[in-house]
Amino acid sequence: MVPLIWLSPSTRLLAEAQACSPLPLSDLANLLRVIGEFLSLSLFSLGGGNTLLAEYHHLSVDQFCWLSNAQFADLYALAEAAPGPSSMIVGLLGLGAAQREGPFWALLSAYGAECAILLPSTLLMVVACLSWQRFRDSPWRVSFERGLGPITLGILFAVGLKILHTADTNPPGVVVSLVVCALMLRTRISPLWFMAVAGVLGGFGVINR
Amino acid sequence: MGAPPEGVVLPDRDPVDEDLALAPPPGLGALFSGMLQVALSSFGGGLSAWSQRIVVEQRRWMSNEAFITGLTVARLFPGPNQINMAIYIGTRFRGLPGALVALAGMLLVPFTLLMLVGLAYFQLHGLPAVDRVLAGVVAAAAGMALSMGFKILHTYLSDRMALLLAAVTFLALTLAHVRLVPVVLVLGPLAMAWYWPRPGTTPSGPP
Repeated sequence: MVPLIWLSPSTRLLAEAQACSPLPLSDLANLLRVIGEFLSLSLFSLGGGNTLLAEYHHLSVDQFCWLSNAQFADLYALAEAAPGPSSMIVGLLGLGAAQREGPFWALLSAYGAECAILLPSTLLMVVACLSWQRFRDSPWRVSFERGLGPITLGILFAVGLKILHTADTNPPGVVVSLVVCALMLRTRISPLWFMAVAGVLGGFGVINR
Repeated sequence: MGAPPEGVVLPDRDPVDEDLALAPPPGLGALFSGMLQVALSSFGGGLSAWSQRIVVEQRRWMSNEAFITGLTVARLFPGPNQINMAIYIGTRFRGLPGALVALAGMLLVPFTLLMLVGLAYFQLHGLPAVDRVLAGVVAAAAGMALSMGFKILHTYLSDRMALLLAAVTFLALTLAHVRLVPVVLVLGPLAMAWYWPRPGTTPSGPP
C-alpha cells in the first residue's frame, strides 16, 4: 500500500506547475490519472469515507479543474440525496472529469473512479475479516481505534467547514445550513425533507449563490 | 469483542433468538441477490437497518452477534461503512469473490441510477431554474456535512488528549492547508503511541 501513497505527489507537482485550466483531454491519460488519484486516497477514508470530501474538492476543483466550486457543491448534494452509500460522489466526480469528452468517456471514468476508490479499502477489509479473530484483541487494533478516532473528529470538522465554504450561499442560505445542522443533531427527521424544503426556498430565490 | 467504535449507535433492535436455525451459507448468486435486495429496500434511507433485517432476520445467513461484529470491523477499517459491511458478509461466506459479488450487488443499481442523474445534471445545470433549486439543496447539504463532526464530538469531550489531537488535525487542515494524507501519516502514529494500551489499565474505549 505504501507505493500508492508515494506515487501521487510527483503527478501532483506536475499538475500544480501548470495554471489551473481543464486538462487537455487525451482520453486514456485522463482516465488513468483519475483512477490513480482515487486509488491513492482509498486507504485514507477513515470514519466511513466522508473524511475524504475536502480531498475530493482539492483534486477536482483546485488541482485538475474538472469542476467549478458550485458544481462540486451540487454533486455533493446529489450524492447525499441519492439512496445508497454516500461514497458514490466519487463516481459523480469521475463523470465530471470526463463529461466534456461525451457520455461514453464520462461513464467509463465514473465507474473507473468508483472502482479505484473502493478497491484498496476492499482488499484490506477482506484481509481484516479473514484475520479478525487473530488481532481483535491486539494492542495495534486498540490503539488504532482509539488514536484515529480523535483525528477523524478533527477531519470531519474541517470537512464540514470546507463544504459550507464551497456551498457559498447568501446569508439566508447559511442560516438554513446552520438550522439543518442543528436539526440533524437533535431530531431524526430524514435529511431528504431538509433538502426538499431548502430546494423550494432556492426555487423562490430566498437562497441563492 | 471490544467496545464499539466511538460515535456508533448500534441498531436498537431486539437481539435475535440465538436458537433460530441459520440457513445454509449462501452461494455467490444468493450473495448478489441479497445485497441487491438490501440496496433496493433502502431507497429512502436506513441502509444499515435494512441490511440487518434482510441478512439476519429474513435470510438467516448469520446471527445478530456475527452481524454486530461485522459492523465493528466495518467501522474500524477505511472505506464506507455500508460497503465494508457488504464486504464482511461476502468474505465470510465466499472469500474475495464473495466480497466482490456482494459489493456489486449493493452498488450496481443505486450507482448506475446516480450516474444517469449525474449525466442529466451536466446537461441541465446551466438552466437558471435548476441552478436556483440546487442552490437551496446545497445549503441543506452543507448543514448535513457540518453536523458530522458534532455528531461524534460528545464521545471525546472528557478526553483532553483527544480534543487536542482533533484540534491540531483541524488546524493543520484548515489554517495551514496541509493535505489529509500527510496529516494522517504524522498524527496517526503519534496518536496510536499515546493510546497504546498500557499494562495494568483496561483496554476499553475512551471514557
